[in-house]
Amino acid sequence: METDLHKIHIFKTNIDKIYPDCAINTTLGNHKDIQQWSVDCEDVDRVLRVVSETLQPEVIIGIINELGHECQELP
Amino acid sequence: MRIRDIDKENLVIENAIDQIVRDGFQGFSMNKLAKACSISVATLYIYYKDKDDLIQKIGGKMALKFFSGTVKDFSPDMSFEEGLWKQWENRANFTMKYPKEVAFFEIIKHSPHAETILDSIKEFSDFRAIMKQFIDNGLKNKELIPMTFEAFWSIAYGPLYTLLNFHTEGKSMGGKPFVLTKEIMREAFQATIKALKP
Repeated sequence: METDLHKIHIFKTNIDKIYPDCAINTTLGNHKDIQQWSVDCEDVDRVLRVVSETLQPEVIIGIINELGHECQELP
Repeated sequence: MRIRDIDKENLVIENAIDQIVRDGFQGFSMNKLAKACSISVATLYIYYKDKDDLIQKIGGKMALKFFSGTVKDFSPDMSFEEGLWKQWENRANFTMKYPKEVAFFEIIKHSPHAETILDSIKEFSDFRAIMKQFIDNGLKNKELIPMTFEAFWSIAYGPLYTLLNFHTEGKSMGGKPFVLTKEIMREAFQATIKALKP
């Protein structure tokens, strides 16, 4: 089934690397309300893409900020 | 509201192919692509996870287009000569109709993306099965001499692709202007058949 486009959230971040046991990977990977996520570390905007049925963008920004990274929603 | 917009999607595909053919994978970026399409970077990321995802999804679409174009009006039960000529016609038509897509496909083919793309298309195994059956029938009916697959392929399609390359570049050896005609294609085909028949 195709993902509902409303449930995909796109952010500009400064996450420069994702490795198996990094905080981002552990936190987002284990979050029960996150169905899918990825960071394009090769892009200048280090774009974070999160698929979630319930989470609001502000909550996701909060999570990323707490892990010590900048995060803002891309319009 | 976010709606999957087919026109926008096609615009993205067209521009991505343009940029990759022109600048290669290294020179290509999601930012540049969004700009060329006059859409936001976010919109692009709605559809594609990252650059690799985009390249693989578009590559898959192109591969499928190529396979269906190649088997159009073709049947593995055709006589070997008739079937191979149909293959030549279909492949030539595709190359002439979609030169940019073919150039893009060539770049993909020599990249690590190729395997991922082919694995993602279930129709690819059908295509391979059809082509294998065609060769098997040719062997069984004694219309084709047995040889190593790669040797067969290079003789069966090599001449065609050489001519198509000349045509795409608009010139042949030593820069001589060249346009591929059906007559020239026939000429090469007759020699090819002669080489493959027992």
